[in-house]
Amino acid sequence: MDDTTKRLVQRLVKRIPAQMLRTTLDKWDRLTGEQKKSMDFTQSKWALTEKMLDLCEVNGLSVKHLTELEMIYIIDNPNKGMWYAFQLMDPQDDAHSVELMQFKEQFKSHLKELVRHVSIKIKKHTDEAVWIRIAWGDTFARPNHLKPTYVVHYLQSPYVFVTSLTLKQKPLLSQALVLSTRYQAIKDANLSGRKLTAIRDLLMRKYQQVFPTKYPSPLPENNPTISSIETFFVLLQMACEAFGGGMLPQLQSAVYKLETKFRDNSNKTMSEREEPFKCVVKFASTNLLESFRHCASSGIASTPVTPLLSCIPLKGRNYFVITDNGPGPSSQMRQPQN
Amino acid sequence: MFKSVSGFCLLGPSPQDMERHHNSATRTPLNNVGVQRRSKSYRLSYRSCLGTAASRLGLTPALTARRLNTSRRALKPHGVAEKVDPEQLALLVKTEWQLSYVTPLHQFRHTQLKSYSRRLAAFIAAGKQQGLAVAVENPQTTFRVSFSLVEGMTESADDAETVLIQIHARPSFAGQDEPQRPAWSGWLTCVNGNPDYLRSLPKDFTCLPLFGSSGAEGLGALVKSWFQQSFDCCFGPLEVSHTSLQWLMALWTNCHTEASIQHLKMIWTLPAVPPLEVTYTVNPEDAWELWRSVRKQKENRGGGGEEEENCIDIEEVADFVQGLKSHFYRHFRLDLSAGSLNQVSTALGSAKHSGRMKISNSRYMTTTLTLLTESALLKMPI
Repeated sequence: MDDTTKRLVQRLVKRIPAQMLRTTLDKWDRLTGEQKKSMDFTQSKWALTEKMLDLCEVNGLSVKHLTELEMIYIIDNPNKGMWYAFQLMDPQDDAHSVELMQFKEQFKSHLKELVRHVSIKIKKHTDEAVWIRIAWGDTFARPNHLKPTYVVHYLQSPYVFVTSLTLKQKPLLSQALVLSTRYQAIKDANLSGRKLTAIRDLLMRKYQQVFPTKYPSPLPENNPTISSIETFFVLLQMACEAFGGGMLPQLQSAVYKLETKFRDNSNKTMSEREEPFKCVVKFASTNLLESFRHCASSGIASTPVTPLLSCIPLKGRNYFVITDNGPGPSSQMRQPQN
Repeated sequence: MFKSVSGFCLLGPSPQDMERHHNSATRTPLNNVGVQRRSKSYRLSYRSCLGTAASRLGLTPALTARRLNTSRRALKPHGVAEKVDPEQLALLVKTEWQLSYVTPLHQFRHTQLKSYSRRLAAFIAAGKQQGLAVAVENPQTTFRVSFSLVEGMTESADDAETVLIQIHARPSFAGQDEPQRPAWSGWLTCVNGNPDYLRSLPKDFTCLPLFGSSGAEGLGALVKSWFQQSFDCCFGPLEVSHTSLQWLMALWTNCHTEASIQHLKMIWTLPAVPPLEVTYTVNPEDAWELWRSVRKQKENRGGGGEEEENCIDIEEVADFVQGLKSHFYRHFRLDLSAGSLNQVSTALGSAKHSGRMKISNSRYMTTTLTLLTESALLKMPI
């Protein structure tokens, strides 16, 4: 057994939690029933590794098969590592009719043209997602299977999610994606997070959206006839309109780079200053959107909810650079340079 | 208004410690009740030394702002770097310390440090024998304790000299090199403590109210226990109050022209469900400009003279923080006052509400420690 295969086995057994290893091996279907029974998942990882190495030797399994195992595990457990969202831009006429086989062939051939040694595995998953595993090599080196990039593309949508991609690899991947999907460009969607499912649901709006009610609700501020229950419902309605109803995608952070002028009536010196007040604000929570929704419905946030926050679900992004736009006092969103 | 006497030492030793107190070889003559009685009659309360105004305020936490000094001298880079032994200084900076307050030590002698080293080592060995948890991998390990004097930390003649304690784990295998980092280290200090209070203490008492600890917690607990038994004192957790955190923000930002703070970072928590953490990092130049504008406003309001220039008032600190909050509110319509400030940090140091503190630049150590000494003295029961 060569060194790469060994290291890959070691890495996989180390990485996959014992209880998941059993199910993943089942799905992999490369070990016989007997062999699977012989594995004791209560043993130490070291012992399991030795066992796996034996079995792979016996069955004549190679890197090719092990990468399958890895892919099965990652697809079932996508909420690890950092995922970044990208959006394909300016579809050509035939972009919408690209179907799976065509995409697979095209992607492989384009990437292979760009990178001398590369190993590509493409698999379609149940929910219209196409998963791609890329092990990168170059003119001199064989593909490195220990640091693969994973890409998820939803056919019929312009969205692509990527993890473990270096700066050097980015333009190569971008090129291959653009050509094989028949779009003209790809840009950073300014959305990232540890949970693929969360950022996907946010970007593709797979959560319950709440639309404004028929009659616009006035803010019940100085109206003595409006009860606190009504206030509660008004705030709750506003909060849900801004962030969504029901279960919200588990986004964990949002970053705002503020480059706006300081304006405060009580501080004349600062308000007259020409330069922007530069700061960075990062919001973090186990479920950021729920936290924001709660802030809005409970009064911690003043309503109406500021567009800076409601932009997260509206535009499906969590990285913003905010600058002053024009002479007015309000800040607007501007997209960062790609 | 004062806490009842029965509350005095109950905060310090846990029931476990009390037991050890009776069993330990290094016995101190009195049980707790005796200590309280003697201390009560011999020591004035810290608060009574602050003057009648302070004592009328009582123990309400909300009035903390008025209990700390409302103005303090601006941070000047005291020549601590020149006065303190550089090796010792290196041990103090760039480490995160867990803070506690300590009540005055009875019959503590700076001349007896060698003897204390031996006694503490024996105490730890005895503690290990009794099976008390000390986080060490090898049960054969013995500990070497060293107490050292850190001179030059303070300018005031009333302050007792700082004491540094280190515990090195000596592995039992012969020939192994001594480990570089101590298993535990800590210090006791008093920097610019209130002179009226310090002078009011009877001669037998040494006041080193601020205690910092870093390393194996089990060892730290043993050290505190030993001090409690040997010098009839009490330890208690010292949080860095919101007011102190805001002071540090202002004091550190004030240094920006002399030593770049690199950033002013604050971590707030808002009480949402689930809780929302906000990390608000301000560019150093912008933080400095805001601070300067607040200072200028004070000048315009009629503060004059050089004496005033060196003094920073709490109103200025409050205005500074309010400025930061209002900029935030303008964008996010979230009022940071609804939440709590948990941590502040700059290149000069960091401090957490939970009582953890790190000094990254020794030049500004003195004012930070002055602030914390004051907090410790205020937090002490009675």
